[in-house]
Amino acid sequence: MAGAYSLNGAALTLANQAVTLTFINPIASPNVDFSFRRFWCGQSAATTYTGNQRVQLNTQVTAFPTLVNVAPAKLANIDAASVISGNTTGAAGTSGVNASAEGAGAKTVIWADAFSPANGWLLVLTPDEYIEMGAGSANGLGMHFPVAATTLSNWSFGCTWVEG
Amino acid sequence: MSSDDSHLLIGRALGQVWKRENKTESYVTIPPALIIMDSDGAVWTVGLRTRGTEFNVLRNDLDTGQFCERIEYLNGVVRLYGRDGTRRLSRSRRHII
Repeated sequence: MAGAYSLNGAALTLANQAVTLTFINPIASPNVDFSFRRFWCGQSAATTYTGNQRVQLNTQVTAFPTLVNVAPAKLANIDAASVISGNTTGAAGTSGVNASAEGAGAKTVIWADAFSPANGWLLVLTPDEYIEMGAGSANGLGMHFPVAATTLSNWSFGCTWVEG
Repeated sequence: MSSDDSHLLIGRALGQVWKRENKTESYVTIPPALIIMDSDGAVWTVGLRTRGTEFNVLRNDLDTGQFCERIEYLNGVVRLYGRDGTRRLSRSRRHII
């Protein structure tokens, strides 16, 4: 089993608080490893765009966010379905988007940035920077807004990874 | 696509309609920006297809057939930087040259 997958949210309204946009928790070992390649987020429509929005990639080992159940999409039809499935809990082997509540578990920031909501944010990791998460790593990887967005509606975001 | 009162520029990207009151500022570059809105209301971004270190270039969610490493908006002109050198949208906005 090997393939490339994405997890997406489109034109969603965020909660007025710090929000995990995407959350992927690799499956228990033994199984395939995950190698994350790309993250993006942007706001498709707002009346005004003011200031910058902070964004983080972080790992979390327990007390995960409460998410909207979204399963990974495969990027090539020939690939098998992802080994993980959508769920609201963020538990191992699951994925979800647009958290309605952040879990109490500590988040370890591994990438922090800020961007103009008018232009959006696209992070394409170089081969040296690929974020590798092994099966059974006991870590979930989230893309996270540490502060609430100024305008909460019409956010689109996602990430891609390779399983194998 | 038609405009509305608060959004003069309306295009498409990521399967969504994108609305902006103003075109993107000069020197904005993809990546790290996600989109460029040009003065025609067209949204430029990169797709998921790659060719070495280059990405396919999307305009209003349609593949332009071009690949590049960076898209930059400079003085109202969309420019593509890649292994083939620099290309830009023609004055008629119909060709990439």
